[in-house]
Amino acid sequence: MRSALLVAWREIRWEIFGDRGAVGRMAVFALLPIVFVLSNRSTRVGELTILALALQSALFPALSGVALIASTFTQEKENGTLIPLLAAPVRDIDIVVGKLLGMIGPVLTICVGSVALFYVLASAQFGATRVALALPLPMLYALVVVALLYLLTAGSWVLIVAALVRTSRAGQQIAGLLIGLSLAAFGGLALVAARVADGWALVGLGLALVGSDVVALEIARRVWRREEVLARL
Amino acid sequence: MLGRVIEVRDVTRRFGGLVALDHVSFAVESGEIVALLGPNGAGKTTASRIIAGILAPSSGDAVVDGIAVRHDPNAVRRRCGFVTDQPSLYERMPLRAYLEFFGRLYHVDDPARRAAELAELLGLTDRLDMRLGAFSRGMKQKVAIARSLVHDPTVLLLDEPATALDPETARSLRSFIVSLRARHRAILLCTHDLDEAQRIADRVVVLYRGRVAREGTTAGLRAADRPTYLVTFFGDGETARAALARAGIAAQSVAADGAGALRFAPEDPATGNSAALRALLDDGIRVLTLTREERTLEEAYFAIVSEAGRR
Repeated sequence: MRSALLVAWREIRWEIFGDRGAVGRMAVFALLPIVFVLSNRSTRVGELTILALALQSALFPALSGVALIASTFTQEKENGTLIPLLAAPVRDIDIVVGKLLGMIGPVLTICVGSVALFYVLASAQFGATRVALALPLPMLYALVVVALLYLLTAGSWVLIVAALVRTSRAGQQIAGLLIGLSLAAFGGLALVAARVADGWALVGLGLALVGSDVVALEIARRVWRREEVLARL
Repeated sequence: MLGRVIEVRDVTRRFGGLVALDHVSFAVESGEIVALLGPNGAGKTTASRIIAGILAPSSGDAVVDGIAVRHDPNAVRRRCGFVTDQPSLYERMPLRAYLEFFGRLYHVDDPARRAAELAELLGLTDRLDMRLGAFSRGMKQKVAIARSLVHDPTVLLLDEPATALDPETARSLRSFIVSLRARHRAILLCTHDLDEAQRIADRVVVLYRGRVAREGTTAGLRAADRPTYLVTFFGDGETARAALARAGIAAQSVAADGAGALRFAPEDPATGNSAALRALLDDGIRVLTLTREERTLEEAYFAIVSEAGRR
């Protein structure tokens, strides 16, 4: 676990905060809540609209996170920097988990920041009481959990793609396709599930996603074994 | 020499239907530099990756410092330093942070001190806080070597380390590798550069299509099965050749500056050379030198590879 944390720390410190472009892209996502609030000037917005906007504030940074996961793995393969890492006394799973943590950690922080910023701005724009009714604390937690689930699910599947393709360009293209498909599936299933069994189907959907994460992470772990990665380098 | 540090025991490695290594065995001792030679696709990189513990053999085993790769690959990785032809650095990181990161991965006691030591050893102290992306190709390769030494490994695996380096940097890299031999490291050098191998390797293993085509000391490989000798002299070349023929020695004329020269390969040099000299002197030929000719490693290598190709 210590090695996984080291790998994660390196990703955050040098690949995210060491890359001005990445920081700039993330700043754009932080600005999204402002755009969402300002684009709804009506003071009569309903609770459902506030919830939908909050969900967007949480999910948009997560989308960028999935693309980031795809690029971090394919770039390591492309630049050959994976070889020294594989030659170090680190377990395969520590490399995969470390890199995932290194990407998911900052992106989830931005998701939380984005939702918090949205909450403050929406309270000022639509009224604190209305926003508090639409977004009680458990709902805010739920939004962050949804973002995390999305990141884990899409990220794990993208991880498998990243192991199989040779170039970061191909990785990004397939990741983009996966992001679109997963978002549509995620949104569609959530809408349907919310109407079934008083919303209990949503819980079932969440559990199914966790199950899918476990399967995807297991496949990712297998395809990211040294043997497999080296054979594809 | 202090005993075998690397032992490759009957290793076979398949990638699908492709056999990259086919029952390969060789060893490297402490304080020894062994050059692993062979054409592209011979299996050099696969062999070094198996020894480094980053690729498992399909059958057979590699033992590093008494530890089998199959049994404990992580322990093997802790004992190996691995350098490839590409430096493969995280270019956004400064040198200090980079070496400290790998120091921590290898559980080095004081990574900061070790990073400073290695930077000093390789003449990079003034660049410790510079981003690696700004380094020249030669400096990047030095950093890759520093990374491989961060945990002071017993074994150093160098896969084409001097590729794309300018002659000066390649020379200083060679001196550095030789200095590691003096510190009892076992060094396996995979290279296409036969001149480099001839200069620094104690022994050579030639791989061809995944098999060991020949193994031996550098001097042993350079020595032909039947050594040739070159005699230079003042006098008529035809007379000299006829004198050798009378002594039962077939000789070939060789171009030489300002003197005659003949090459011959006696069955038994101890008697054949004396007979050749006597025959020449009896015919009034003034002999200047009689020297044993040695093949270059390059000539030996091509002879070995071409013989392996015919099998």
